[in-house]
Amino acid sequence: MENMATRTQTAQRPNGSAQGKICQFKLVLLGESAVGKSSLVLRFVKGQFHEYQESTIGAAFLTQTVCLDDTTVKFEIWDTAGQERYHSLAPMYYRGAQAAIVVYDITNQDTFGRAKTWVKELQRQASPNIVIALAGNKQDLANKRMVEFEEAQNYADENTLLFMETSAKTAMNVNDIFLAIAKKLPRNEQASGASASGQGRRLAEGDTGARAAGSCCK
Amino acid sequence: MEDNCEGCMELFSQDGVLLKQAHSYYIQYFNESGTLYITEYANTKDRFIEWKPNSVTVHSDSHDSEWSFVNAIYRGEQMSPQPPDSKPKYIKLDMNQVRSFKVSKKNDTMTFFDGKGEILCHFFFQHGNCFSLFAALKGLLKTTVSKRDKNIHIIVDETLQLNKSFATLDLFQDSQSASIVWGFVRSFQEKPVETAFGAFAKIGNTIGNNFMPSSSPQPIEEEVITNDVKEYERGVESSDGASPKDYEIIHSSPELPSRLQYPRGNPLSYDQWTALQDSEGRIEDVEYTKLHIFRGGIAPSLRKVVWKYMLDFYPWNSSNADRKTILGKKEQDYYDMKLQWKTLKPWQLQNFVQLRDRLSLVEKDVTRTDRTLPFYAGDNNKNLQAMSDILMTYVMHNFDLGYVQGMSDLLSPILYLLQNEVDAFWCFAGFMERVCTNFDADQAGMKTQLSNLYILLKFSNPTLASYLDNQESGNMFFCFRWLLVLFKREFELHDVFRLWEVVWTNHPCNNFHLLISIAILEKQQSEFIGEEMGFNEILKHVNDLSGKLDVNDILDNAEGLYYQIRESSQLTNEVRQILGLPLIAESSPKDDSTDSIENELMANVDKAYENGLHTSYF
Repeated sequence: MENMATRTQTAQRPNGSAQGKICQFKLVLLGESAVGKSSLVLRFVKGQFHEYQESTIGAAFLTQTVCLDDTTVKFEIWDTAGQERYHSLAPMYYRGAQAAIVVYDITNQDTFGRAKTWVKELQRQASPNIVIALAGNKQDLANKRMVEFEEAQNYADENTLLFMETSAKTAMNVNDIFLAIAKKLPRNEQASGASASGQGRRLAEGDTGARAAGSCCK
Repeated sequence: MEDNCEGCMELFSQDGVLLKQAHSYYIQYFNESGTLYITEYANTKDRFIEWKPNSVTVHSDSHDSEWSFVNAIYRGEQMSPQPPDSKPKYIKLDMNQVRSFKVSKKNDTMTFFDGKGEILCHFFFQHGNCFSLFAALKGLLKTTVSKRDKNIHIIVDETLQLNKSFATLDLFQDSQSASIVWGFVRSFQEKPVETAFGAFAKIGNTIGNNFMPSSSPQPIEEEVITNDVKEYERGVESSDGASPKDYEIIHSSPELPSRLQYPRGNPLSYDQWTALQDSEGRIEDVEYTKLHIFRGGIAPSLRKVVWKYMLDFYPWNSSNADRKTILGKKEQDYYDMKLQWKTLKPWQLQNFVQLRDRLSLVEKDVTRTDRTLPFYAGDNNKNLQAMSDILMTYVMHNFDLGYVQGMSDLLSPILYLLQNEVDAFWCFAGFMERVCTNFDADQAGMKTQLSNLYILLKFSNPTLASYLDNQESGNMFFCFRWLLVLFKREFELHDVFRLWEVVWTNHPCNNFHLLISIAILEKQQSEFIGEEMGFNEILKHVNDLSGKLDVNDILDNAEGLYYQIRESSQLTNEVRQILGLPLIAESSPKDDSTDSIENELMANVDKAYENGLHTSYF
């Protein structure tokens, strides 16, 4: 479970030529209920937005691949239920994660407070090298803003977090925050075998290469 | 009975027996007092339950024309459901048609069932004692107590079943073959295992040569097993006319008996519901009603009415007058509680963080619950407002529990169906009584459920359980959503209605929803293992099953699974406990009830059938 090594391997394009490394990262979304965690994932993975996205019960798992220079980064994204009552399930999903996006709603001060609690918990209990990004979501509702950009930026700086205000609705900064995380993640050549948690047990080379090329190099 | 019963022997008789229910053709005799007999015909050894009203004298010449179906099944015909042409003078019930009977708790009524959930006859004993008839029946028939209802006695006469099975197949057109088979049947009773092993192969040849030249003999063995096991286990589902296509046998674990199929029945209809009530509107036979609902659900137009009983809005034994009073009280209570939070001043709410937080959680979820349904779509939707008011009032109703994510999913279908705020509130509250431990602050209830699910899976399908274990999925967390909101996210709304009302009957056992889970999972087994899915993929695959599941098929398999588990010789107390079956002392695994000998015998018989019959063809 504590295996933090990034899995890398050389992928082959369908035509057989080398494409570069493939890195696979586990990323978890945390944050208060109804701040837009699932909406951010849905925007990033499927380019969709549902005004009345239903609440997440238990957890959801999605993947998305992005290209970064000569590296293909595959995100394995765990989207969790936000309500406090389901807090006790979260460690199962952030354990072994290399990255986390902690989300709050810029129109709701309480959700920012809750985001800080999540950050503390991750710093204390998650993998020591975890990359944490803070997302101030619902930027499209800036006229109802209750959390100032500077306040969040300062907090992020103090805690060396990536920070962006995002809007799953308008897609603002959504791909960007995932990309920023990808850039910050270590992309060393240290290949790992099957991970302890069983995630991403293997990369089917042709398949992954093709998908990576199709989905991230646009 | 001598006047109308040539060559027949009267085995039992009792006066003061009122006919309460029978084919409508006999309506003229309903509530009339009469005499009940058990008779046996010397030549055929057929037995009958007969009832003769005190007011009628029966003449022997009318006898045959009245009940022309007597012995019909031996001629390979179905019993005629049509009433006889001439006016019937008395009831004469072929005992071969009776699959089970029920004795009321007060011992003053006895009901005979046909095995398809239909009542053949229902008698009331004026002197409040049907013990003697019960004792007489027990002396004549082998019975077992239904696990679903201890007042129901299921008739388990394997000779009868075999007779009937072979006869129904109409295989024996020459007497020689028939005598071989009946010889087998007789010796089977005496030495089931040896006979099955030794003789069945020969019969297989006989059958193969003489009766089924072009097809495999398999349908016969299946027919026999089906008849016997099904009758034994259910006592209600007659397999008359069942074709091999009606079921398939699934082998999931070497420890379990074969899976039988339990196709869903017809939904409870308005007429049936009305007939279940007495003159004052009380439901007389609650267990029978629930059993019917378990089998076939409730007709859509009737759900509005019956759900109120299922969810403890009205007690089953409430009269029409009681319900009027109850409704008034519930309306008053609801609006009182609603006022409690509606009338809070802004500064009160400002200084009441626990309530404020709960109300805010409600708002967050209500706005995103089932908004794709037209019923909840659009801005300023009044149904959405009702949902919000109900959940907030529920916070006042049970402040310790408050509002937890998932509850709006449980309320939405109820409000959609009932379309009335007060009704929906109390039915939702009744539903919450059943599932409130799902929302424990420490998740204890969910952990128990997930662990019970794993225990049942490991027992019924060790291969799949061990695969999941190896993929770090033995905690079954990928089923969290299924169990938390009782599959509400997995099916389309009308299938959710169906599944919920079936689960609410508590038939055939406790925790039936866990067997539903296993029935879904086992269908995914080949994909899980074949595609080498890991922790992530398993969760994703399971989440993606939403909207792709067939509710009837799943209920059918879940019920089949229940009987497989229950009849397993390896059954553990751990599993018994989860399913609410009686626990047994470790040393004597079968000695769990007064009729344990019968159970054991039947288990052996079942095993002999399967071993013997299968072996002979392998």
